Amino acid sequence: MRDTRKAATRLRVLQAARQLFEEAGYEAATIREIARRAGVSVGSVFTGFESKSHVLLEVIRERLDELYADLERVAPHLRGSTADRCRSLFAVHYAFEFRRLRLFLAHLSVAFEWRETRDAPVMGSNPRLRGMIRDCLAEGIAHGDVRSEVDLELVVDLLVGTYAWNYRLAAADGADSERLTALFDRQVGVIFQGLSPTR
Amino acid sequence: MNHLVHGGLAAIELAERPNQRALAKQRTREKIVTAAKLLFAERGYEGATIRDIARAAGMSTGAVFASFTDKADLFTDIAETEQAQLYAAMRLAAEGLDGRVAILAMLDAAAERQLESLALFQAIMSALWTPVLAEKARRRLERRSAASLVLAVVKSDLGLETDGRCAFLIADMIWDGYVATLRRAALDGLTLDQVKTRIHDQTKTILAGMRRG
Repeated sequence: MRDTRKAATRLRVLQAARQLFEEAGYEAATIREIARRAGVSVGSVFTGFESKSHVLLEVIRERLDELYADLERVAPHLRGSTADRCRSLFAVHYAFEFRRLRLFLAHLSVAFEWRETRDAPVMGSNPRLRGMIRDCLAEGIAHGDVRSEVDLELVVDLLVGTYAWNYRLAAADGADSERLTALFDRQVGVIFQGLSPTR
Repeated sequence: MNHLVHGGLAAIELAERPNQRALAKQRTREKIVTAAKLLFAERGYEGATIRDIARAAGMSTGAVFASFTDKADLFTDIAETEQAQLYAAMRLAAEGLDGRVAILAMLDAAAERQLESLALFQAIMSALWTPVLAEKARRRLERRSAASLVLAVVKSDLGLETDGRCAFLIADMIWDGYVATLRRAALDGLTLDQVKTRIHDQTKTILAGMRRG
């Protein structure tokens, strides 16, 4: 009984936070305001979450879970070279995150504040995202697109890092998702040229 | 005679006074910056307040505001100094070298420096994404990107001068890879040697891709 109530509170907090982050922005939203909107006490927000950063990361994780439910089904059927399949995976991400750009930029900011979110699912360590890219690379090795001795985890880091860091153009320059996708497509080209077996 | 000497001393004192005032001002700034660096590293940009910083520096908030317009100004000042020192270290490391060796030497030097003050680096990287820093401050820091140092080598030594866009792409990617590795270093507690190995591996991949592409 107690657990059900706890879960219900958690759900309400997350829903209130999602709305508030969208309306007011992550920085302006306070735990107090989230609690008020969820109709719970400030204390009970903190029983579910260590900090505002943790609430944000959970909001992001839920959002991505919805995306990945679809993407994981599609991913094995993607066509083209390994680089192209990888491009498709990230193009979907750019299109998806640009719908809530402010939220995602807040997420990136928190991702660098890994002091307090050490154990939380910060950007780049999402196991579902990493899994999809790893699978894509492994298939590339099987097809002879990618050198077999590459450190897959390292390549995943490089791809995710490149993908994420491109958002600085959105933060500072107002670049749109098409521009970032086009840029990333070229970057992926370079990376996969570098990963291809030496001829 | 005595009278003259006194007059002389007074004149010297007068001449030195503005200098001493400037010196005192400089010392105050340094005290604030030292305290602020620690607090930003410990609590991040949002977590550290001017009040905390003033207290840690042993002065009033008013004294802090006499030296810096606001927290964003103080933070940007620190970030700029950090960047300038980082770039100087990178330039020094690459002196007399060229091509891939120069780039790797720069990245090694950067890693050596930034791994020492990883928490402050995190605070700076994090703050760059948030609207809390004035747009101007962000541009002030962005423009002098470390990637431009890498870019110089990529352009001059690796024969990419004809296609400037490609050189930009490569230089940015190398630096992005470096930043991603530092993040990983903090998440997983990597040693300096592990960080260097990863950075070399990534950079070589990118440079190999550039040559084949």
